[in-house]
Amino acid sequence: MSLDDDDNPSLALPAPLLSPSSSSSSPLPADPATAAAAAAATDDLTAEDLIEDEGAASQDFRAFAAALQFRKTAGVSAQTIRRGEKDFEAHGTRAQADALEQSRAAMRDVLSYTRVHPAGKRGDLARGWYFPAWWEGYREEEVGGEEGGGGGGSGSGKEGREGEKKPFGFVRERVVVLEGSSVASQALGRAVTGQAKDRPARGRDWLLPEEALYLVERGSLDLWWPLKGLEELFPPDGTTEAVKEEGAEADEVDEYDAGFPLSLQAAYALLIGNDGERGKISLQKFQVYSNLKRCGYNVLRAPPTVNHPTTKPATTTLWQWFASLLTRTPHHPPYGPLVQPGLYRSYASIYRQMTLLPRHVPSATSLTTTTQPAMRDPFTIHFHVWKSAQKWSKLRHPPPDFQLAVVDAQASAVPTGGEIAALLGATPPEPGKPEWAGPGRLYARLKHGYRNVLVAVVDHGVINYMRFAEGRFGAEELYGRFDHHRGGGGDWVGVGLAMIPGNVIVDSIISYYLLK
Amino acid sequence: MAAPAERQVRISRVAGRYLVFDIDDVVHIRRHYGICAVLTGTMPQNPTQNLFLGLPIELHAEEARLLVDKGAGYIADELTDHLSQLSVMDASTRKAYLQHLKQQRRNAQQVFDEEKAKVQAKHQGKRKAKPAAVTETTAAVTETEEDTSLFDTPKPPSTTLTTTTPKEPSLPGVTPTTSAPLIPSPTPPSPAVGIPRPANYPLYNYLNARGYYTTPGLRFGGDYSVYPGDPFRYHAHYLANSYGWDVEVAMLDLVASGRLGTAVKKSFLFGAEKPVEEGSGADGGGEGGGGGEVRVFCIEWAGM
Repeated sequence: MSLDDDDNPSLALPAPLLSPSSSSSSPLPADPATAAAAAAATDDLTAEDLIEDEGAASQDFRAFAAALQFRKTAGVSAQTIRRGEKDFEAHGTRAQADALEQSRAAMRDVLSYTRVHPAGKRGDLARGWYFPAWWEGYREEEVGGEEGGGGGGSGSGKEGREGEKKPFGFVRERVVVLEGSSVASQALGRAVTGQAKDRPARGRDWLLPEEALYLVERGSLDLWWPLKGLEELFPPDGTTEAVKEEGAEADEVDEYDAGFPLSLQAAYALLIGNDGERGKISLQKFQVYSNLKRCGYNVLRAPPTVNHPTTKPATTTLWQWFASLLTRTPHHPPYGPLVQPGLYRSYASIYRQMTLLPRHVPSATSLTTTTQPAMRDPFTIHFHVWKSAQKWSKLRHPPPDFQLAVVDAQASAVPTGGEIAALLGATPPEPGKPEWAGPGRLYARLKHGYRNVLVAVVDHGVINYMRFAEGRFGAEELYGRFDHHRGGGGDWVGVGLAMIPGNVIVDSIISYYLLK
Repeated sequence: MAAPAERQVRISRVAGRYLVFDIDDVVHIRRHYGICAVLTGTMPQNPTQNLFLGLPIELHAEEARLLVDKGAGYIADELTDHLSQLSVMDASTRKAYLQHLKQQRRNAQQVFDEEKAKVQAKHQGKRKAKPAAVTETTAAVTETEEDTSLFDTPKPPSTTLTTTTPKEPSLPGVTPTTSAPLIPSPTPPSPAVGIPRPANYPLYNYLNARGYYTTPGLRFGGDYSVYPGDPFRYHAHYLANSYGWDVEVAMLDLVASGRLGTAVKKSFLFGAEKPVEEGSGADGGGEGGGGGEVRVFCIEWAGM
């Protein structure tokens, strides 16, 4: 599975898949028959090798696609692979027409694939039932009541509390119940806990619309339309064996008695909706979701931000106030020298007096306290994204690597400053890697920013990702460095000459020598 | 681009977006109407990559409108169609649908069997060719053979439950791509669901009528990337923007787009539709698509 899932087939095919046959033939170079056989095997394509590697059970229709010579499918996406082979314009030759026909035929062949779920092990069949109304009346707040508070703390103390508490579940949005457990349920879906014992489908995983559609599209899930109620399909009793036996018996009678499978088209119709519709997801968001999932990221919906900005500020402003007392922002008289005459033992105190323009210093609370714009809909954090990691699970995971908003290219403009500030204010500070400390990695820090948020722009299926970060120039004080490599007193003044405006220098030099 | 008129492309409208699910339709509009659109779906054969994507394709509203205007397609509101069909399903439709499914499953099974036979034949051939082969390979071969033989027997694991009526050795499940057998296409394709005319439609129509293909222009900051033919074979020549006739275009926008276009070896194309004056005839030429004349200009950075 992993072999040909990994990458683009036309690149992956020649190298790794041929290696077994060539290695098997290499110990016997003298035997002409084997050599011939091996050569023949490589010649008539690697479809068989592919099957061999996968095992006959899981190959499904892939053999179909393999028999098409994956190489030709390069025409399917045209953009990347065939870049060098494209022509500037039509020159009316047959070769050109043939090449185009080949590309079209390959596309047609590859895309006519039908999703097949191998029979055999009945328990492994990932089947989802569409029950859109089941959780309609469910109120998540009851379960996640304290969770709201935990989410409020997402600004600072995130991992401490959220590790204990389950993340927000979007139970009302969950519309597809998963029958049996598949690999997919490790990262997707959610069992709704805290249910009464006599509730049907207790402990089953429920999928969000995007999860279900992604799995269907991937060919990993069979989505069924139920003809019976959930109570009949998943009886409330905990005896799962009984359920299975019953199911098996039902299979014998009429496997379509309880429902029937839906097509991909139907899945789109049922699961894609407008923003804000319960149990649906907008097409743009789904496209971004599946794009990220295909890349291997873990993606979850961002929990709703409940009274996030209002809880914190009181205490933190107090801290800021203390901090401001300590640094003692200088008071400038209306005339006279910018830097007050006096004895200075460090550059920092001089530069502090020279900071006339206010600047933005990012801090854990700065954005939320000063401006408190609420996020408005296109520019809201929709997804949390994690790089793929071994220990990630859908219930226990570290703070997200990326926070992502999805916008439509046609329906939205470049975000205003307020919108970006609101987006950034809703993300926790993420100052970068710890090894970036010190003057050497200054530019890495500046480039990374203090907080950041990704915006995925979708234009009819084409996705661009943009990154907005909060600048941290205010946090990088260059003059702090001058004090470190200070030698003797003379050296100190010498540096000062180059740096400080004239009258100030004169004053300070005079005072220096007077005191000496 | 003379198109056979008989085929009616079903354009699925889902939440205000236009999708096409049928591969035959996709090929058809690509060949005859110069619409390639964007493949957006995950490819089930190879689901962990983003280079090759699968069905459905997503159309621009302009493209959908063009198909409807040319009488080559119709808009179907998928949600209402599906819900009405699924919730009250008469027995005959259901039977037909299930029959169709069963047929597909049988086909799949057949393909499986053929492939299996091929593999087995190959392995046997290998074995004969080199009786004293390396232990590794033989091990592998026997392993896979066991695997396959295990599958030849009609599902041994759950024999305890089955009454072993060997009619169907549990066919593989199938998820069809389209709901065609479930939702019969309306015999007189009703243009009941219409599309409002998108603002970019005149320019799009103009380009399409001249045999240009377009894809979304997001990558180059325009409305479209314009190809001189099927994007399978050609590079984009232009990045196109549509403006209103009386819109004042900022000079800096022209500079920015012109320079960007030149930097990616394209030229920047922009056009607008002249509004139809009251006095003159309403259909001002076929190319405008019911509107007025479309004027198009191209900017390239000369770098003199």
